[in-house]
Amino acid sequence: MTPPAIRLRDVTFGWPGQPLAVENVSLEVQRGERLAIIGPNGGGKSTLLRLVLGELRPLQGSVEVLGMPPSRARREGRIGYLPQRSAADRGFPLSVRQVVAMGASTGLRPWARMPEDRKRRVDRALDQVSMAELADRPVGALSGGQFQRTLLARALAVDPDILVLDEPTSGLDAAAQEQLARVLASLQAEGELTMVVVSHDIRALAAPRGEGEAPAGSFCDRVACLRRTLHFHASPEGITPQVLAHVFEHDLNSVFGQVEVEARSRAGD
Amino acid sequence: METLDFLFGPGATMRPAAMAALAVALLCGLLSPLVVLRRLAFVGQGVSHAAFGGVGVAAVLGLFAAGGGTASLLGAWGVVALFCIAAALGMGALSRRTGVSEDTAIGVLLVASMALGFLLLQLQRGRAGSQAVSVEGFLFGQVATIGTLEATMAWTVLAVSLVTLWAARRPLLFWAFDEPMAESVGVRVGGIQALLMVLLAVAVVVTMQLAGVILATAMLVLPGATALQLTRRWGTTVILSVGVGLLGVTLGLVASFETDWQPGPNIALAYVALFAVARGWNRLRHRGGGPTLSS
Repeated sequence: MTPPAIRLRDVTFGWPGQPLAVENVSLEVQRGERLAIIGPNGGGKSTLLRLVLGELRPLQGSVEVLGMPPSRARREGRIGYLPQRSAADRGFPLSVRQVVAMGASTGLRPWARMPEDRKRRVDRALDQVSMAELADRPVGALSGGQFQRTLLARALAVDPDILVLDEPTSGLDAAAQEQLARVLASLQAEGELTMVVVSHDIRALAAPRGEGEAPAGSFCDRVACLRRTLHFHASPEGITPQVLAHVFEHDLNSVFGQVEVEARSRAGD
Repeated sequence: METLDFLFGPGATMRPAAMAALAVALLCGLLSPLVVLRRLAFVGQGVSHAAFGGVGVAAVLGLFAAGGGTASLLGAWGVVALFCIAAALGMGALSRRTGVSEDTAIGVLLVASMALGFLLLQLQRGRAGSQAVSVEGFLFGQVATIGTLEATMAWTVLAVSLVTLWAARRPLLFWAFDEPMAESVGVRVGGIQALLMVLLAVAVVVTMQLAGVILATAMLVLPGATALQLTRRWGTTVILSVGVGLLGVTLGLVASFETDWQPGPNIALAYVALFAVARGWNRLRHRGGGPTLSS
């Protein structure tokens, strides 16, 4: 029997001298499944992700990724990861293709040339994020959304089984958000990847509307609402306003999105 | 032509120095883009000043004595290299252990090493019968002392560095561009960083004979900084950086020959002039809107 993509059993984690960030979380993600984790800021989403990525070890409980310790899965290139804020230096004189190729170059012998199948992986990743036409452009000349898609392509070029996205649309303008959502929806449609998306903004989970191609609705199979513990863990249709209000409590701003809140406050002026 | 003949022609007095200068220019040109992009200019400064401490120790041990022979000179450069490598690796360790910022750690080591070097040189000078070591020569370069041994050393270091850089090119570039991500996919970032530090330290040792500890940084920073004014392509950056390195050294040596001044300051000023021209061209090209290339 193949192990699930991700399995958390009674996972608890907290920093010394602080209240627990994550408590008794049990969660299974099957292969090929798309899970969204939503919750308020400070609700433990990033901590949970870092546990899944093997950057943190749980105080109690266990984390397995593809049946192995997460840090090993990461080193073996089984997990692709798009961080919320990349430390990548955009002033670097590199082209989009060179950055994406970094994802495909890990573990190569020092003298080896990049093998053909890895080159094809780079091309495919560029296609998947609709950056093939910009492949030779310097990263310093990209918009925020284009750079984000370049980093997503680098994560895909690792050829992962699992793709982990931390707040993928944060900091992008509306058009770039929609473009990225379209890319994620098409990745989902290919159906090979297990995907975990973390967001404080529930709109990020909506599949792109418009042009009649993708139906409006949720882009993931299941949603986990996290505020220290899991409050809800089911199909998107099961999420009711009551559940959201419970999870986010007073942090409803993040549910509706900062933009609308700002619009309302401006209207009230 | 006559000048170039004097510098590079067969049997020319300046030939070892000129050959060493070419190797140093190639080496620094190769390393320079990484130094600039990883903001290691001050690290380079720290390492090169640490060399002065090594010079002091080597002088007290009598390794720089005239007529000491090849073994003695090799020993001297070995001591200096050890000092540089220890400083390069020590700066990071000091910063991690004590929690002070890396800037501060470099500042502390730089001053300590310079002071130690100067005191030891004075101590050595006070000894009866000892030959004085030129402080100024080590600070600003002493091209007259560059012989076949030093030139061979420079080309050997260049060859070894080239092979190492080629072998490590992928993890090195990944680390330089995005350290956390490189680490998470299995790049041993500690090792890569240490490797670059050792390459920098060894480069400083062969550079300081030409440019001295104070001007060595110019050769590690300015070629890359100049190249980055001109392009956003990685391959072009490296080629331009090496080209600027060679051009600056050649201009500096020719100017030095024409004026009969020490080459170190001439080379440094030639680099600054090339940088200024590249910067001006970059601004001119983007006048009337559009982003300029910044490094």
